[in-house]
Amino acid sequence: MKSQSRSTLVRSLALHAVLIPLAIIWLFPLWMMLVFATMPDYGIFSPQIELLPSTHFLENLSNLQADTDFIRALMISVSVAIVYTILSVLLTSMAGWALARYQFVGKSLVIAIILGTITLPYFVVVIPQFIMVAREFKMANTWIALIVPPLFNSLGVLFMRQAFSMMPAELFDAARVEGVKEWQIFLRIALPLARPTMAALAIILFLASWNNYLWPLLINSRPGMLTAPVALGTLIGLTKVSWGGIMAGAVMLTAPILVIFILLQRHFIAGIAAGAIK
Amino acid sequence: MAELSLKNVVKRFGSYEIIRNASLDVADGEFVVFVGPSGCGKSTLLRMIAGLEHITDGEIHIGDTLVNDVEPADRGIAMVFQSYALYPHMTVEQNLAFGLRMTGNPKADTDRRVQRVADILQIKELMQRRPKQLSGGQRQRVAIGRAIVREPRVFLFDEPLSNLDAELRVQMRVEISRLHKELGTTMIYVTHDQTEAMTLADKIVVLRGGNIEQIGAPLDLYDNPANQFVAGFVGSPKMNFMSAEVTATDSDNVTLTLLNQGNVRLSLPLKNPPPAIGDAVTLGVRPEHFAKAGEGVADLTIAVDVAEHLGNTSYIYANVAGGEQLIIEREESRNEIKTDTLTVAIKSSHALLFDKTGNRLR
Amino acid sequence: MQLRNRAAYGFLAPYLMIFATFWIWPIISSFLMSFQNTRVNPWVFSLGANWGRLFNDPAFYNALKNTMIILIVQVPVMITLATVMAVLLNSPLLKARGLFRFAFFAPVVVGEVAYAAVFRLMFNLDFGIINKLLNSVGIPSISWFAEAPAAMALLIIAVTWRWAGYNAIIILAGLQSIPGDVYEAATLDRVSKARQFIYITLPLLKPIILFCVILSIIGSMQLFTEPMLITNRGGPGGGTETLGLFLYRQGFTSLNFGYASAIAYTMAALAIVISLLNLWVGRDQK
Ligand SMILES: Nc1ncnc2c1ncn2[C@@H]1O[C@H](COP(=O)(O)OP(=O)(O)OP(=O)(O)O)[C@@H](O)[C@H]1O
Ligand SMILES: [Mg+2]
Repeated sequence: MKSQSRSTLVRSLALHAVLIPLAIIWLFPLWMMLVFATMPDYGIFSPQIELLPSTHFLENLSNLQADTDFIRALMISVSVAIVYTILSVLLTSMAGWALARYQFVGKSLVIAIILGTITLPYFVVVIPQFIMVAREFKMANTWIALIVPPLFNSLGVLFMRQAFSMMPAELFDAARVEGVKEWQIFLRIALPLARPTMAALAIILFLASWNNYLWPLLINSRPGMLTAPVALGTLIGLTKVSWGGIMAGAVMLTAPILVIFILLQRHFIAGIAAGAIK
Repeated sequence: MAELSLKNVVKRFGSYEIIRNASLDVADGEFVVFVGPSGCGKSTLLRMIAGLEHITDGEIHIGDTLVNDVEPADRGIAMVFQSYALYPHMTVEQNLAFGLRMTGNPKADTDRRVQRVADILQIKELMQRRPKQLSGGQRQRVAIGRAIVREPRVFLFDEPLSNLDAELRVQMRVEISRLHKELGTTMIYVTHDQTEAMTLADKIVVLRGGNIEQIGAPLDLYDNPANQFVAGFVGSPKMNFMSAEVTATDSDNVTLTLLNQGNVRLSLPLKNPPPAIGDAVTLGVRPEHFAKAGEGVADLTIAVDVAEHLGNTSYIYANVAGGEQLIIEREESRNEIKTDTLTVAIKSSHALLFDKTGNRLR
Repeated sequence: MQLRNRAAYGFLAPYLMIFATFWIWPIISSFLMSFQNTRVNPWVFSLGANWGRLFNDPAFYNALKNTMIILIVQVPVMITLATVMAVLLNSPLLKARGLFRFAFFAPVVVGEVAYAAVFRLMFNLDFGIINKLLNSVGIPSISWFAEAPAAMALLIIAVTWRWAGYNAIIILAGLQSIPGDVYEAATLDRVSKARQFIYITLPLLKPIILFCVILSIIGSMQLFTEPMLITNRGGPGGGTETLGLFLYRQGFTSLNFGYASAIAYTMAALAIVISLLNLWVGRDQK
């Protein structure tokens, strides 16, 4: 008995001896983001090793605002992410519901196309999307251009279809016998029961929209219509720019999403795991 | 209130014929039970009546309307499902009222109906709970309540009691029976439990492999099964079947040799055209239709395998050659059945005879 | 019945319209474009303009080579790390589990631009904290951005940091789906923990790890933001230019849509080959 608890102790020590350094390394860039964001530029470029945060965060933010209209960019990013998430959850839920719960001509074709194309690189579609939105629809630098094209994402369809098809069929039959309309069944029974899945999906979609870089970079290049990542990205690589400001912006991009992550960790992890394992 | 009739109803899933040519008439206020082994199409038939399943061919009438293309909600039916199918995110009260609310029924009327159901089923104190917070029996009661609220012309039940434990099952069975008397509405009830069928039904429909094997009152089916399948399916313990061969026939009688009973011979009156000599037939005798030795047409001496004493009666199990098993019910006192062998007689009045394909000969 | 199923089209239609417009049609369209010379007006069919050029373009081979190097080094390193993380996080002996989970999973939510900025600063030649730390233990500064091998290493480090936790989440979910009684039975049979890991855990995890490998390969193949922002548009001198960046340059800097489409379809072909390979390997297992 004694030797057993001893070996458990040794194993526990070994476990933490590996994990603690690894965790420190993994947290280090995030920590440094905070350190840089609170430091004046001369601190960032000082020859000393600076590992502790300072107090210049607001100053850095106002430097950033002087370099680019970051507040507006943040506002655009927030609005786009919210509207996109709501629309995408709604559209993909409806589609997932149709594919999970009805028999109709073309159903297996639709499923096959979605499954067959889901791993295609985004680069395959980005050029025609750009030509279509910017040149044919003449919608570059608009809200619609930011929100609508990315709605094609079919992850939610598979996600929601899975959730709906796991619900017992008798539930919906019971409602049908009672004269409840199909759209009412969807809204009043199916959706409320799929709430956990919708939450996981919403978080993933929000994150994707919030961090989206390539599409907003291409389609909204006019100052005043930039999203926050694009606004920040254009500063990186410029010479006369406040690095403290850029890092303050990075913190502004990261902190809210980290808070959401901490609060909703369970949904988040469930979403990623389920999205992957299917 | 309504009568209901099926005329040559057929259901196919792709090339599989799940229901073959089912015809049935249900009188107003009748309690009809569909019974049959698993997968025989009971649920499918019920769901076609409900309108949840499209019918491939034939006609379904409820009252005097042809309802083939009528939506479930407009057929005047209500359905209770095996899994209860209560909406998990709604309270009992919301569950009961949901359908009426969604279809725009006036609020006052909805409330009145919900109240009435709560009274009938004594679930007043459960109204604000969710399905998760209810016991199996309570859930079942709410599910039935949700059907009653609709004030339907026909109730449809799909194995409503199969998820309950034995004791609750008996209790709910009695309650459904009482409900039928109170409401007087036509009810169609699916089960694979023949005790439920026997106790509840005015009329039983026995199904097998998508065919209606027999329709009749419970005791009719018991006394007068149309074929070997029905004979074996109705009654518990099951009817005994003994392989036999026809050894002689004349105009009124047939003489058999029981192949697995040491070639005992017996002769039975038979009005139907007799089978040919040498035909394989099956003799059917219910456990309670054995008499004391010497009191019937033939005596069987059997080796007792197990004797179950239930107090009021005893069941004797005997393994016989050819893998047959006999079950014999004896009402005499348990002390009399201590012996290892037992001699019983077959009473000719209750002995049934089936041909090779299971058709009834007598 | 039939009527009820017709409702499905209503539910499906809005999404399907967007899906067709912004996904299916572009897939077809870029395929067609890859066979057209898009630098003349109107566009004309031409095999040589894009596909012919692609296979003779040293810049393409450079980008392909860089992408492959990143793939071959980064994916195994990251998946190994992710497996280690997942297995350790799953240990019942672990204290402060939430903290460790946060450490490894947090990078998953950090935006590419934000972390690109941090890595640029951290790895700066003169002021970067990494070189300062290296110097403090006697290692000379590495010029991360001026030398191609160092720049490649930097990209690999950055991508591994960002995505290891993502894979660890998936592998951890797989670990947790292994029923505990398998281990209990093994323990009763006196199978050591180490052997349990090799003979029970790893074989059961194999399909999930394989899945992560495929996902990571397809992801790394499309690497774009990191070489764009961290190594300053594929610098030094194209030393970290990936296929994604090459495509971006051709498509959106030179506005040569046909050529960029051909590059995109090369990537797609690679992705398809890898997916098929996955199927084939998976088949082999069973
Ligand atoms: N949608 C369907 N497609 C194909 N076959 C089906 C479908 N639904 C039911 N069946 C088949 O029809 C037959 C009858 O099914 P049904 O559910 O009516 O049986 P049941 O008598 O209710 O059985 P149980 O007692 O197990 O509930 C079964 O063989 C079943 O496999
Ligand atoms: Mg059934």
